[in-house]
Amino acid sequence: MNIMLFAPELFLLTGALVLFLLSLGSAGGGKARGTTLLFAIVTVASALVCLHLEGSLFYNAYRIDFFSQFIKLIIAVGFLVVLLVGRQLKGVADDVRAEYYLFLTMSTLGLMMLVSSVELLTLFIALELSSYSLYLLVPMRDDRAGSRMQMEGAIKYILFGVVATGIMLFGMSYLYGLTGTTYLGELVTRLHPIMAQPAAIVGLAMVLCGFFFKLAVFPFHFWVPDVYQGASNETTAFIASVPKIAAVALLIRMTTLIAPGGWPVVNLLVVLAVASMFYGNLVALVQKDIKRMLGFSGIAHAGYVLLGILTLGQNGYATAMYYITGYLVMNLACFLVICAVSPKGENLQIDDLSGLHQRSPLLALTLAVGMFALAGIPPFVGFMGKFMLLANALNEGYLALVILAAINTAISIFYYLSVVRVAYTTSPEGYPAVQVAGTTKLVGVLLMLVIIAMGVLPTAMMNIATSAVRVLL
Amino acid sequence: MDILALQNSLNTYLVLGALLFGFGAYGMMRNRTFIGMLISAELVLGGASINFMAFSRFLAPDPTVGQIFTLFIMGLAAAEAAIALSIIIAVYRNFKSIDTDDVAELEG
Repeated sequence: MNIMLFAPELFLLTGALVLFLLSLGSAGGGKARGTTLLFAIVTVASALVCLHLEGSLFYNAYRIDFFSQFIKLIIAVGFLVVLLVGRQLKGVADDVRAEYYLFLTMSTLGLMMLVSSVELLTLFIALELSSYSLYLLVPMRDDRAGSRMQMEGAIKYILFGVVATGIMLFGMSYLYGLTGTTYLGELVTRLHPIMAQPAAIVGLAMVLCGFFFKLAVFPFHFWVPDVYQGASNETTAFIASVPKIAAVALLIRMTTLIAPGGWPVVNLLVVLAVASMFYGNLVALVQKDIKRMLGFSGIAHAGYVLLGILTLGQNGYATAMYYITGYLVMNLACFLVICAVSPKGENLQIDDLSGLHQRSPLLALTLAVGMFALAGIPPFVGFMGKFMLLANALNEGYLALVILAAINTAISIFYYLSVVRVAYTTSPEGYPAVQVAGTTKLVGVLLMLVIIAMGVLPTAMMNIATSAVRVLL
Repeated sequence: MDILALQNSLNTYLVLGALLFGFGAYGMMRNRTFIGMLISAELVLGGASINFMAFSRFLAPDPTVGQIFTLFIMGLAAAEAAIALSIIIAVYRNFKSIDTDDVAELEG
């Protein structure tokens, strides 16, 4: 076995072991943060080095190709940025920070293993590794200030998560029963002739449910607002960004199983996309808590991403990848501001951002760029992504869907821009000044540059995404 | 059909699996306590396990795969129950209740 094939995961695993040892002692949060940052940087470097490797591990259950390595690189970079964004970790008590970083690392490890899994059992285990760690991150928020909503968010998260897993497993059992194999490669060839059977359609749709839960698509979205609001700002920054990349990658992998006879599954995806967009955008309009608002906007964005996936073509998959990568960057820019502005790690109402342009001009600009990008206004990445998604769906003949998505984009502009309005046009009186560390400023500028660069020059990223997706088809 | 032949037919077990799945899903919606919801969730996983065992016994070319899958489901279900119970204890410490109606400060 070539050890380089597994290098990024091995570094993360080593990091998790070191953090576990640290958590046994009485090491403070500073040491744990340094260790995690070090291993995150090494993981990003090794993911870059391993970008073009190809091979199979563990009896062909684990596939390393450009698709998986490209997504692993995005996940590793996302993990590093989340660590930098939540550097001060205001919302978590110092004595549990070693465990906090341990679970954060394990969750990232699970996501990385998820994108390489091409066998149902491997996929299930990797998914659970990442989910279980996430369930535990939510209630780790500091409860000394008397806040107890994190417990409520956590219990809802795990109970919905278990049901989603159960539905996915039930679907997997039908796929296994119909084909007698658990390898995705063989599933494709054996499912194609029997795709019109109800059992195959029901099984496949149920397997997709597990990933709908991760991506927060409409009927599996119940956990989103409560977990976003209950979890500490730094945890929410992670939950809102990195797992979605892996969820989209897996949805792409699983939808390649859909053969021409599988139109009911495609219709299901269409219905869920429309429902997610309308539900997310309409409910986000009335939110006061900014994390809750971003949660509902995340549901809407999951609907937009489905627009690309449901066309089942190379171009649609590549645009979905492009869009979710852009979403990661836009979302992290917004969470950078939330983490920095929140004085002691408490939740921010939208009104708490009043006069941000005077309290911290750079953060206000980062927030504005992030919100404009999420709203889909040129020249930012959100516009380019939505434009390509809609153009592709139109080419594939989903005219009604494109019109509905365009209406939704218009609705969403209202609540994104009202945040910008609060930050730029209200007076800062009565709100404390914001202390911004140098690293935060640097990360903010870098995120803004990426948002603009990806929006202005989408071709480079699209070419990479297209060649990554081509591996699957 | 002869009642004695039921135990040797795939459909019996598939119906049983689907019933467990249905009970679990119904229980998730109807139960008013978190422990009850956890038990319902375990029923869903049990339904999936029975399906895997039935398919590997009656249909699969290699009967070990389904059995291994079921073993892993059992292991992960145990881990998940441990995590869920620890969170339920944390909920109880804060709310002095594990009733879904009492623990509803967030508007989900």
